[in-house]
Amino acid sequence: MPPRTRPIEKFAAAVGKCSLESSAYGKCIFADYQNVRKDKCLTEFLRFKECYMAAYRAGK
Amino acid sequence: MKAISVCALIPRPALRRPALRGYRRYAVQSPGAPTIEVFNNHTKWLQKERAAKDAEKSRQVDYLRDEVASRLCERLLDIKRNFPCVLDLGANACNIAYSLSKPNPYQAEDDLPLSTRIENLTCAESSETLLNRDVSLPFNDALSITRDVLPSLESLPYEPNAFDAVLSSLSLHWINDLPSVLAQINTVLKPDGPFLGVMFGGDTLFELRTSLQLAELDRRGGVSTHTSPLANVSDVGGLLQRAGFKLLTVDVDDIIIDYPNSFALMQDLQAMGESNAVLGREAAGIRRDVLAAADAIYRELHGNQDGSVPATFRLIYMIGWKESPNQAKPLSRGSGMVSIKDVLEGKGDKGGKEGDS
Repeated sequence: MPPRTRPIEKFAAAVGKCSLESSAYGKCIFADYQNVRKDKCLTEFLRFKECYMAAYRAGK
Repeated sequence: MKAISVCALIPRPALRRPALRGYRRYAVQSPGAPTIEVFNNHTKWLQKERAAKDAEKSRQVDYLRDEVASRLCERLLDIKRNFPCVLDLGANACNIAYSLSKPNPYQAEDDLPLSTRIENLTCAESSETLLNRDVSLPFNDALSITRDVLPSLESLPYEPNAFDAVLSSLSLHWINDLPSVLAQINTVLKPDGPFLGVMFGGDTLFELRTSLQLAELDRRGGVSTHTSPLANVSDVGGLLQRAGFKLLTVDVDDIIIDYPNSFALMQDLQAMGESNAVLGREAAGIRRDVLAAADAIYRELHGNQDGSVPATFRLIYMIGWKESPNQAKPLSRGSGMVSIKDVLEGKGDKGGKEGDS
């Protein structure tokens, strides 16, 4: 039986392909992590999300 | 329309009064009932069953349980006794039995594994699949193992004074009513029998906890529970004392494991059957947005230079002895005549009096 790839594993691989965007988002949160509010780093996150969604689709 | 139907459900005061009088009770906790409910035992059982169904994957992630079980068994080595009857409470896949059967590397003059000092080990666990996962492996021949499937670890079905020692490795952190379970352990022990336990505590997985919190704050504007509340070192001493144990020893050990990313950590936790089982958690699980954000924050906040992420497991080891009249007792305060500083530095002409256990 071939090992089944769980969707979450594919998702993790996609997220792993976007290290630049991920690090930009992480740095934005880390810059002032004691005062996080909703959508504090929205632009960075959307850029990150765009990247990993593209990688997820490409990984199909 | 709605208001009318609700009104119809409420009985008029005249009708309600006798019923109320009939149900009036003193506010007394019924004995044996759990006082607090933090974890959903059924969910935990389902998670463990699911995890153990894939035996291969489940064995792969036994690294933590095996390591902790062997560290617990090292502590048992210090007790120079034979134990005819031992209980392993919350045995998982009998990891303690496996550690006991391994050759003992610390005693050059006595290379026999610890299992030779134990006649019968009772492994009690709520998840049957997990308990019987390794039933055909060779370590089962090293000592006689009785596998008991308990409906719940919160009430022990054993007779008082039944066991010479009780061990417990990485199970007590899922117990709702820890004071009651510790008191029951004290009851099933024979007088002067030791209880050696280890559980996750305090700062376990603080990296995961903080990055999920920050990710949820940014993405959703609020925080929900994704990791269990855990006991602190200072709590554990008090709990043992309250349960009636004597000669307590509590110590802490951190195991830090590096994972390639936070997803690998969460997958391993799931394969161990250690997923979140807190009552009132979100049924839908964590959103993918939050997962991705948490992974980014985890890396940035806690990540290593080489790109891996560390996960801290703080283990609280506890040793307590059941009270017995002929047990070594601590001397009264202020009666010490020898300075421990001199003894440790080798200045004292005679060593301090050592307990026999």
